[in-house]
Amino acid sequence: MSEQTGKQLSKEEKDARFEAELLPVLDPLYNFAYRLTLDEDDANDLVQETYLKAYRFFDYFEQGTNAKAWLFRILKNSFINEFRKKSKQPAKVDYSEVEGYYNTEDVEGDNGVATTTDMRTESVQDLIGDEVASALNTLPVDFRTVIILCDLEGFTYEEMAKILDIPIGTVRSRLHRARNSLKEKLEKYARTMGYNS
Amino acid sequence: MEPKFTEMYQKEPAGEMDGACGQVADLLDSMVDGEATAEEQRFFNSHIEECVNCFENHQKQKLLKGLISGHLKRVIVPESLAQTIKAKIQETI
Ligand SMILES: [Zn+2]
Repeated sequence: MSEQTGKQLSKEEKDARFEAELLPVLDPLYNFAYRLTLDEDDANDLVQETYLKAYRFFDYFEQGTNAKAWLFRILKNSFINEFRKKSKQPAKVDYSEVEGYYNTEDVEGDNGVATTTDMRTESVQDLIGDEVASALNTLPVDFRTVIILCDLEGFTYEEMAKILDIPIGTVRSRLHRARNSLKEKLEKYARTMGYNS
Repeated sequence: MEPKFTEMYQKEPAGEMDGACGQVADLLDSMVDGEATAEEQRFFNSHIEECVNCFENHQKQKLLKGLISGHLKRVIVPESLAQTIKAKIQETI
């Protein structure tokens, strides 16, 4: 190991700052990792790798700037550059693998939801959540990513552009295509949810 | 919103508004994501008051976003993960 700390922080100070500023992002970061890899062990590895990288480059992190976006960017890069190659099940993020998923007849959820008028009951909410997750998981990873960043984590287009290293126009078009694709998959579902007035 | 919606529902789709409808469609994402400029918002909102198709598309887009933000379950972080990370960092010089 040959790292040099640019500023003269003691290791204790550095560790304390690191924990205070970056560890609070653990929950969203793990969720992001899980939605990318669709596997808890892989998500675990990816998050650990991300934090270790972040620690190594912590001197480059400007205090008070967007720690969440910074960590998401590191994780996304790790996923693309290294993790995806060495993942034991890379096929899981391959579109062709899962493309047919939604064409199979919907066996469980449909009746239950169609006949229920109160969408706020817990069991129904679970069904919707499951349905949304299944549909989302069938999207190609690039589509899944923009939807997670935007709708689940609430990043702005500008932040997304930085996290993904793409122009803002690409963020817009990718998000647009991702939503169209998700919409198709959920169309049947949406019809049961309030267009029958 | 409700009564207006039903009232508009009975109107014929406005065929001559294709250009405006196209522009409105392009703004759907910016609108639901809070990324539209004030001017875009004014244009968008005044259009959907007259155009039932675009009004409906806007409702659908909001619904779609709400499905993700409101219904997608968050996975629970393994309890040991934070400790593992801290331990690894301790070992790092
Ligand atoms: Zn229109």
